[in-house]
Amino acid sequence: MSDWSKVTRPIPVPNEWTKPFWDAAKRGVLALQRCQTCKHFQHPPYATCVSCMATDLAFEPVSGKGAIYAYTIMYHAGDKRFASAIPYASIIVELDDAPGALLAANLLEAPYTDAKVGRRVEVMFEPLNDDFTLPQFRLARDAK
Amino acid sequence: MWEHRCKVAVSGVGFSKVTRSAEVPLAAHALEAVKGAVEDSGLAMADIDGLATYPELPATGHAVVDGVTIVSVNCMMTMLKLPNLSWHVQVETVNIGGAVQQAVNALLAGVCKYAVVWRAMHNPKGTYQNLPGTYAQGATQFTAPYGFGGPGQGMAVAYTRWLEKHGQSREKMATLAVTQRRHSHMNPHAYFCGQPLTREDYLSSRMVAYPFCLYDCDIPVQGAVAVVLTTADRARGLRPRPAYIAGYGQRLAFEVAGRIGSLSSYMEGGRSSSRLTWERSGFSPKDVDVAQIYDGFSASVIYGLESYGFCKEGEALDFIQDGRMELDGELPLNTFGGSLGTGRIHGLWHIIEGALQASGRAGERQVKDVNVSFVGASAPIVQGTTFIFVKEPY
Repeated sequence: MSDWSKVTRPIPVPNEWTKPFWDAAKRGVLALQRCQTCKHFQHPPYATCVSCMATDLAFEPVSGKGAIYAYTIMYHAGDKRFASAIPYASIIVELDDAPGALLAANLLEAPYTDAKVGRRVEVMFEPLNDDFTLPQFRLARDAK
Repeated sequence: MWEHRCKVAVSGVGFSKVTRSAEVPLAAHALEAVKGAVEDSGLAMADIDGLATYPELPATGHAVVDGVTIVSVNCMMTMLKLPNLSWHVQVETVNIGGAVQQAVNALLAGVCKYAVVWRAMHNPKGTYQNLPGTYAQGATQFTAPYGFGGPGQGMAVAYTRWLEKHGQSREKMATLAVTQRRHSHMNPHAYFCGQPLTREDYLSSRMVAYPFCLYDCDIPVQGAVAVVLTTADRARGLRPRPAYIAGYGQRLAFEVAGRIGSLSSYMEGGRSSSRLTWERSGFSPKDVDVAQIYDGFSASVIYGLESYGFCKEGEALDFIQDGRMELDGELPLNTFGGSLGTGRIHGLWHIIEGALQASGRAGERQVKDVNVSFVGASAPIVQGTTFIFVKEPY
């Protein structure tokens, strides 16, 4: 299991288009940007709906259940502050509610060798400081 | 088919010394490569009237200093003081392949006669990637907090997707690394020329970002390469046999910044670019005699082979086995060693090799009976330009 205790993660700097995502995460809610015209979810947030070009976008809560779309195991600390966690799994999650929206995360509470494409995961929340909470993922508890 | 096929050609090519990291200012490398290309053409420097480059510094977190860490068009103008200069451009979204394509367009438009395109790559001493500090701004706010740093990880996640979706094994990539290294031994300009690499070296090497081990990643170097392009009729009057440009394409899809790992986006980038090149040239993958496919990370070759149509999706790692990518194989691939063999100079070296193979000038590594020479000059989704060079205009 990767040791995250000594890792100082970069703090996200929201802008006005991404702030609702981080505000929701702080409340323990995973909310993604959704097109109010065609109902397409997208992540990361964008200026327009990349599906239908509409500009009426809003953040809506999603269930936080999904599957590992892709992953990598980091053995080389590109960012030195992550050196103490090596090797660790950085994963890309595709949510059941939001096909096509891809979220980066780490696989927590499991050995990094458990990261496999297609494995079921669920969201959890990791506070970074008083202002920011990171959505993260662990293996789904209801998966076999 | 494209009405302008074979109306522009690559003539001379030039190379600088390639060193592991910066020993002299980058401008000295660029100048050496440009002088070499002009001399190879048999031209005088004063004949050059067009300049194009893509100067981006891929090492993040380092100061951009013109002449030291990049070599811009302005820097080249200052150095060369060309008396007949009539056109120049510095491209952004289409990478170095796009600079070559813009030079083709300028030559077709008649706004210059002899254009030089160069790519100069800096490798700072010390750490290559100085990743975001305490704060993750912009698109990195969704990736850097999770330890996603350099481009390697973005490529690596798509590769696990590919491997597990298709039930493939990364060990098969040893064939690519070992064969390209062997090809680089026939390229005196390559960084790894003369340094052997065995299958065992590959399989036992340290992991960087699984599934990428050390030998799946090109080594950062300091160096430059350059080409002279001119119209076909002028090229025929110069010293080297011309390599005619039969068609080119660029990727017509792009990924939302900060969205990483999407294998389908890689494939769409490659498909859209190569479709233009196949349609313009009138050729198809089965007509290709030799191919250079960008390999900054090894998996780019896999996405390239599949999205350009050389094999079916999920089959590229099998396609490169059994000698198929050797110089005498069915599709000789990255015959100059690729970036894995030359060091990280980006795609202009792939373009140069494509041209050399088409004009029969590749020396010891020349593939027999080449007419159609294909180039995928960068990772399909990143800036995926594609080209076909031919020996015989048609």
